[in-house]
Amino acid sequence: MRRRTLLKWVSGCLGALCASVVGIPGVSFVLQALRKSGSDVDRVRRVARLKDLPIGKPVAVPIVGAREDAWTVHPDEVLGRVWLVKRPSDAKDGAEPTAQVAAFSATCPHLGCAVQHDAKENRFLCPCHRAIFGLDGERVVAKKGSQKNPSPRAMDLLDCRLVTDKTTQEVWVEVTFQKFEQGLTKKVLKA
Amino acid sequence: MQSFLNWLDARTDYRQLLAPIRNRVLPAGPRWAYSTASCLLWLFIIQLVTGLLLMLSYSPSTTTAWASVHFIEQSAAGHFLRGVHHFASHALIILCGVHVVRVLLARAFQAPRELLWVTGLLLFPLMLLWAISGNPLSGGLKGVSQIEVEGHIIGSTPWVGPIIQRILIGGEEVGHLTLTHLYFLHVGLLPLLVIGLLLFHIGQVYRHGLSVAELGGPHDDVSHWSAPNLTNLAAAHPLAMMPPRLKYFPHQTVRNMTVLTVVFGIVAAIAWQHGAPLDAPADPTLPHTPRPEWYFRSLFELRRYFTGDWEFVATIIIPAAVLGFFVLFPMLDRKCSPRVSAVLRVLVVLCGVGTWGGLTGMSYLRDWKDAEYIASSVEVDALSARARELADRSLLPPEGAITLLRDDPKTQGPLLFARHCASCHSHVDASGRGLVASEPSAPNLHGFGTAEWISGTLDPQRIASAHYFGKTKFAEGDMVSKVKELFDGIEEVEAVKMRDDLKLVAQALSTEAALPRAAAAGHDAQAPIVAGRELLSGRLSCTDCHRFHDKGELGSAPDLTGYGSREWLLGMIGNPQHERFYSGDRNDRMPAFAEDTEHPERNLLSRRELNLLVDWLRSDWYEPPMTSVPAKPRNPILAGN
Repeated sequence: MRRRTLLKWVSGCLGALCASVVGIPGVSFVLQALRKSGSDVDRVRRVARLKDLPIGKPVAVPIVGAREDAWTVHPDEVLGRVWLVKRPSDAKDGAEPTAQVAAFSATCPHLGCAVQHDAKENRFLCPCHRAIFGLDGERVVAKKGSQKNPSPRAMDLLDCRLVTDKTTQEVWVEVTFQKFEQGLTKKVLKA
Repeated sequence: MQSFLNWLDARTDYRQLLAPIRNRVLPAGPRWAYSTASCLLWLFIIQLVTGLLLMLSYSPSTTTAWASVHFIEQSAAGHFLRGVHHFASHALIILCGVHVVRVLLARAFQAPRELLWVTGLLLFPLMLLWAISGNPLSGGLKGVSQIEVEGHIIGSTPWVGPIIQRILIGGEEVGHLTLTHLYFLHVGLLPLLVIGLLLFHIGQVYRHGLSVAELGGPHDDVSHWSAPNLTNLAAAHPLAMMPPRLKYFPHQTVRNMTVLTVVFGIVAAIAWQHGAPLDAPADPTLPHTPRPEWYFRSLFELRRYFTGDWEFVATIIIPAAVLGFFVLFPMLDRKCSPRVSAVLRVLVVLCGVGTWGGLTGMSYLRDWKDAEYIASSVEVDALSARARELADRSLLPPEGAITLLRDDPKTQGPLLFARHCASCHSHVDASGRGLVASEPSAPNLHGFGTAEWISGTLDPQRIASAHYFGKTKFAEGDMVSKVKELFDGIEEVEAVKMRDDLKLVAQALSTEAALPRAAAAGHDAQAPIVAGRELLSGRLSCTDCHRFHDKGELGSAPDLTGYGSREWLLGMIGNPQHERFYSGDRNDRMPAFAEDTEHPERNLLSRRELNLLVDWLRSDWYEPPMTSVPAKPRNPILAGN
């Protein structure tokens, strides 16, 4: 190797070394955003008493918990909302009592706006891009030939069960609140 | 002065450095059309200056962003600077479009100007990105929900989308890091990129001069251009021989400055008149229907036609294809004869502007016809005005602006009432405005505790109406029959006397509520109240069933002591079956909203919510002193986001 080539090579390496000393922590600092936050989701919560839910009319309940936001923690924040739909109890005999209430995340699976209840038609409506869902959470096409439903999938069904309080003997609805990725045809848990 | 400049020049050679600018010649003379470029540059500099100044007081974080922007708005200078910064960004985007169209029509992208064309085209999306990274920085409802949706749009792009989304948002959800990341983009990375590209762009302008086409010369085949010609086009061109050759400075400069003054004058006037919008502090619990800025409306509309997994076609593929088409357009153009090229370029401009305008117009038209969207915009405008009103009242707490509307009974009351009460109770005023129960089966609570409301319960016609107890089991109850009895078989003269007495009772009872509005209106004259109280426990024998201070017993009818007061309502809503209210089976379907004091989380209403609801029912909220200038109603659609 010629002296000149070696010198070029050495200066290049030293430059690259210095650049990497800034570059590597720099990139990892930027990628910190990919870490999972410690917000209080995935926890089972009692959200409503069964007797307080009207049949066939959805009720939105807030999911309250601690929300971590970088350097602050908000102890009692509304993390999201859940739509509870109580079906008429004329279900077949022997059906599980949990089947009586369905819980849907109020976050639109399309782009994450808040799904609202359209009282006129008694169905769900996302006002952002007019995604329409039935009370069963499935997508609905408003009219034949009209605009397609923008949502890639049905509303996200959440785990939901009925429990009896030991002291008051009241039946409560318990929901496991989870968040799912938006804009996908499949329901993927937020990683 | 001159000697100082000579001294400076001897040391810095600045005259030679500035020579290309000072001696620049426009072979075809100055033109108004050339002004778009200079106007863009000056607007860009105005953005840098106003932006830097705003940085003096701005603080990016979810707790401080809105508060610091509101602080900036408090001073006339801050208000104006922020207004200029806001509206100049819109002007920049419009001018960028005009500039690109002008260059396209002038065929100024031909060799050797390809890099000029490409850098100019790249500056356009960067400018848009710069604008949208700035909109959420105010921490307002619209800007923050826009970036949320934009994040999801990026996130639904295959492969790299989710990673870019996370980095842009700074995590899973919009928070402090979203604002610091956007701030980094807005005042750090994007300005560096834009300045870099811009310097290159301007360097190319000086290197290549104006294009043959712009000079109005013959559309020669460019392949014969040799290297020396490229560096000094003016000399190579026949027009270069034609005297007189006006220098750029000041002949073009004066045109540039005139155009800039007009454009900036408009910007400054709007900024002075209206200021930049500041909507309610972002709060995911507030209802809101986000819409993109006008320059993204066409993509917003386009997205309606690509749903599901195909959405990225509208959000990524088509915009990238359009950009790619323009970047490669010079190659297509080179293959065309001058005449075909002219037709083609006009066609491209017409199609481009037509499609963009058509999509944008359709999107606005859709909103114009969408009553729900208009209602939601009006609501957001009202919330925004309310938030500013509350923030003007005093400085903000350390938790930030989000508490403004969260702790405001006027804002939260209707939401809580609609969620928890309006399945049975209405809350409508005499003209029928307000919240109507889905299945009215309980009294209308508008004005509860006022003398007017109470007098309805003492009126034999009204007490059994649907407005009061008509749809409850009390319609057949003791109170209704008692009130009817009062008027049974009495002469008209006595009935008039009775009505006057009952008016006194209503007035006496309403002072128990101690409503802030009633006190302010002076409805607390002492004499009638004393008379009313005496009637209550004396001749009218209300205290046979009700307790009133030291008269009567609890247990058979609601306590009239402090009737409608804050404390009374907290108790009543918390647990109507308490012996003070409707104990045992006398309660008609009213749920207890906060009976469990040991496990408050099991109650339907938290303590905070209950307080807000009660304050709202009692109209106990802050109202600013009346101002002489009524706020101008804003058009919810044209007002933009």
